[in-house]
Amino acid sequence: MRFRDGIFLSLLVCSFSVAHGQTSGTDQTLPAVTVRGTTPERFSVGQKTQRIDSVTLEQFRFQNLTDVLTYTTPIAFKIYGSGQLATSSFRGTSSNHTAVLWNGININQPTLGQTDFSTLPVAGFDQLAVQYGSSASCVGSDAVGGSILLMSNPKWQQPGLLVSAGQKLASFRNFATQGGVRFVSPAGKTWQIAGKTFFYTTNSNNDFPYRERGNYFVERSITKQKGFIQDLYFRNQKNQQLSVNFWLTDNDLTVTPFDTTVRERTRSQSYRFLTTYETSTLTLRLGWIRDIIDYARGNFTNPSHSQTDRLISRIENEFKYQLKTSQVSLRIGGEWSHYNTQVDGYGDQLIQEDRADLFALARLDLNRWLLSANIRQAFVTRFDPPVTPTVGAEYLILKTATSNLTAKGSVARSYRVPTLNERYWKVLGNPNIRPENGFNLEAGLSERWLPNERFSISTEATVFRNRIDDWSYWNPEYGYRVENLQLVVARGLEWNGVLNYTTPRWQSGLTLGYALTRSSQERVYNVYAQDIIGKQLVYVPKHSRRFSAYVAHGKNRFTILNQINSRQYITFDNIQFLRGFMLTNLLLETQIKLGSIETRIQGQVTNLFNTVYFNVKRNAMPGRSFSVQLICNLNTTKQ
Amino acid sequence: MKKTKTASSVRLKLALGLLVVLNWSCNNNPDDPAAVPYGSGVLVVNSGNFTDNNGTITYFPPTGTTASYDIFNQVNQRSLTGSVQGYTESDGKGLILVDNTTAGQDKVEIVDANTFKSLATLKSPDIENPRSAVRVSANKVYVSCWDVSGDYTNGTFYKDPGYVAVVDLSTNTVTKKIPAVKGVESLLLVGSEVFAGSAGGVTKLSVIDVTTDQLKTGIEIGSNPNPVAVDANGKLWVYSAGELVRVNTQSKVVENRLKIGTDKSKSPSKFRLSADKKYFYFVSSYYDANYKEFGDLYRFSVNDSSVPATTPFIKRLFSGLDVDPKSGIIYGGVTPSYKQAGYVLRYQSSGTLIDSVKAEIAPSAFYFK
Repeated sequence: MRFRDGIFLSLLVCSFSVAHGQTSGTDQTLPAVTVRGTTPERFSVGQKTQRIDSVTLEQFRFQNLTDVLTYTTPIAFKIYGSGQLATSSFRGTSSNHTAVLWNGININQPTLGQTDFSTLPVAGFDQLAVQYGSSASCVGSDAVGGSILLMSNPKWQQPGLLVSAGQKLASFRNFATQGGVRFVSPAGKTWQIAGKTFFYTTNSNNDFPYRERGNYFVERSITKQKGFIQDLYFRNQKNQQLSVNFWLTDNDLTVTPFDTTVRERTRSQSYRFLTTYETSTLTLRLGWIRDIIDYARGNFTNPSHSQTDRLISRIENEFKYQLKTSQVSLRIGGEWSHYNTQVDGYGDQLIQEDRADLFALARLDLNRWLLSANIRQAFVTRFDPPVTPTVGAEYLILKTATSNLTAKGSVARSYRVPTLNERYWKVLGNPNIRPENGFNLEAGLSERWLPNERFSISTEATVFRNRIDDWSYWNPEYGYRVENLQLVVARGLEWNGVLNYTTPRWQSGLTLGYALTRSSQERVYNVYAQDIIGKQLVYVPKHSRRFSAYVAHGKNRFTILNQINSRQYITFDNIQFLRGFMLTNLLLETQIKLGSIETRIQGQVTNLFNTVYFNVKRNAMPGRSFSVQLICNLNTTKQ
Repeated sequence: MKKTKTASSVRLKLALGLLVVLNWSCNNNPDDPAAVPYGSGVLVVNSGNFTDNNGTITYFPPTGTTASYDIFNQVNQRSLTGSVQGYTESDGKGLILVDNTTAGQDKVEIVDANTFKSLATLKSPDIENPRSAVRVSANKVYVSCWDVSGDYTNGTFYKDPGYVAVVDLSTNTVTKKIPAVKGVESLLLVGSEVFAGSAGGVTKLSVIDVTTDQLKTGIEIGSNPNPVAVDANGKLWVYSAGELVRVNTQSKVVENRLKIGTDKSKSPSKFRLSADKKYFYFVSSYYDANYKEFGDLYRFSVNDSSVPATTPFIKRLFSGLDVDPKSGIIYGGVTPSYKQAGYVLRYQSSGTLIDSVKAEIAPSAFYFK
């Protein structure tokens, strides 16, 4: 999916980023200030990074992060039901091994050490990138299998005001509403101001007209989602920028809602606040995140409560040296966070801890070489992880006017600080648990070919091997007590290719991706472990394939999205599995303009072939469904 | 001579070929005995890992160690989708008790006992949290059900009352729900009465008249009484709070109370009678500080006056236990973890290990047919 955003974006006139035919494209040359938000990518040389283009994000703007990632990346999701818990497995690792960063800050729930992707709607951020492999030296804890980067973007190049309102009507009495304002002041002589105010609500009643599909039950659940975003940016000509980002998410899930004895409610609320001051060399960040989870069964009045507050501060300074034929960037920084957590399962006491990180990131740009060397040391009260270095290189093998071929390679250590649940849970937690540590090797080739004005082809192939020791494991043999028992080796290959063909009237594109993921436990720790050594890890499909294609003419666009996943084993010895499946979605969109209001109309068919496939509770997922989305934009930005 | 031989051998081959074809078509005939693959042998009930809803039934043939796995899925191309709580047969039909994590998704699958082909599915609201099933008369089976189960902390875990579903196998429907005690559990047929136990905190053993499907006066036993078996002397044994209580099935009088073991940190479970009904086997187990379960198998005579439970009969912890009523062979299920296949260890009645056969997730009960 690493096609040039520009090619895609110019095809479609839609809200925010695309409304004026300009691109917010990240491959474009942006002022230094905005580039700084992407630190993990700049210093993770040799590793694969995939940017999800803004057209795709627009298509998924009423859906959750799970939906967009499952059609665009090989990340496997463990899904508990429609609108229910969804956790990731990135490159054959566990749900604790994907770092989710919002504007550079890890927003995984500290209690669980993971993100429920069903609670993060695509409407909550402006840009999305996926970084493959370990990047702990740049990101810190959790970046073992890969990282998901969610970013806000002030879009300085598009001064003006954009008012947007959207409504989705879908099968099963599912609805969603969104609205907001984005503004950018004209680039004046002294200060420029930008901001975004946005809210969204989703009501998924999941009122299925069937109780079963293919003799499997379809579980009833209701999800109500609310969110609010406030971004404000101030920058001056001296390249100083002050920004404030606020994102509130509120996800309210009720399973079996109509039986008052057994209904289960999980309400997850997160308040995320970040303020950043940046100059051309210095970055200061101060953030506060509060994560709340309330769980109740039957009677909802007195739920089990968990609340964690994090105060985060980070200082980074970049030094740049321009040499004769090369450029050296050195970024040195430190981070300190304070945690306060109150969880019913931890006992009555408030648990507090401090964490600190020191890191140094270096990048060398030579003529054909790009090199990086990074190191990080994290300090956690009683749980100091190992020193984490990374070395990466990219070499431009071939460079012609129409084509370039790059070879990449990276060696990285990674770690994961045990979650608060793993350490403090009174019954099954283990205060003596150690941080996990990983060793990731990867190498790849990427090729971009533009044979003529109309064609563009890009392709990338990567092989990786990630060895994670002290893999913590809720040991079912000991009533699910957590232990550093296992050694997991994940290896695999990924390939993707993008083909675009454009004529003055027609545009079309094709994206194909395939991933082979072989991930297995390798340590014998008891006599029965023999039955599970070398077996594929649970819920990790060995093969996954993604396919998408589109044709666009004028303001009309037809898109087909398809994914195939092989079976997911559900037992450690691989004797049982959820069968593999294929899913296909269709999207048809057009746009009409009435006065200064542009209305984009999108029709979507989800699960076109009515495939019966299963979630981890072995319930059937919903069948074919339809939705219509309307997005009205009042746009005063200058074209 | 040579030619004749050739011609005859060709004829022989043709005849053999025809036989094979005939034989093959015979195999496809549903009336052929070879088409009743599960007609005799042992069924292993694997309860599965509860949240995975992956209970299964493993089939062991009458001889040998070649097991067939998840036979319901093999025959019907779909999973049972729940924890399997029990299995019983009646009049050529098998009833599989399935407990799903989600309320309203529990069921009883009715299969052909010989082929395991699904015949009908009893679902919610007829069946909620099925616990145990017993054949009471021709085409009539009782299934004990807790009903919808809420939360311990809210005090709604056991609905009051639970019920016993009366299943009519001629129509494959639930014809009646007999209101029973809270947490109605094990069922045992003795004569024309069914004794019903409880897990819900009651102290009386319930008695149901199978001709009228009505509850009769219960027998006061103690906390959470559950019927175990009727021994060689015709006495009913009921387990309650660390004791086996001997009951006269006619007079309903408690005749004796046997304290099981002396170590209070251990809890006894899985009482099973030997083939001659003169001995009880049971598992005594405990958890260490790391939540790992340890335990052994013990044995005592129905005529013993005390059960010290100090010397194990077999030094092994079992997650399931039963005795083949014909051969007396002891079947012990072993669960290494709820995320990988367990094993079934078979022992002579002397306690000598015969073999070990892989089963599926958490082998917990057996059905001998």
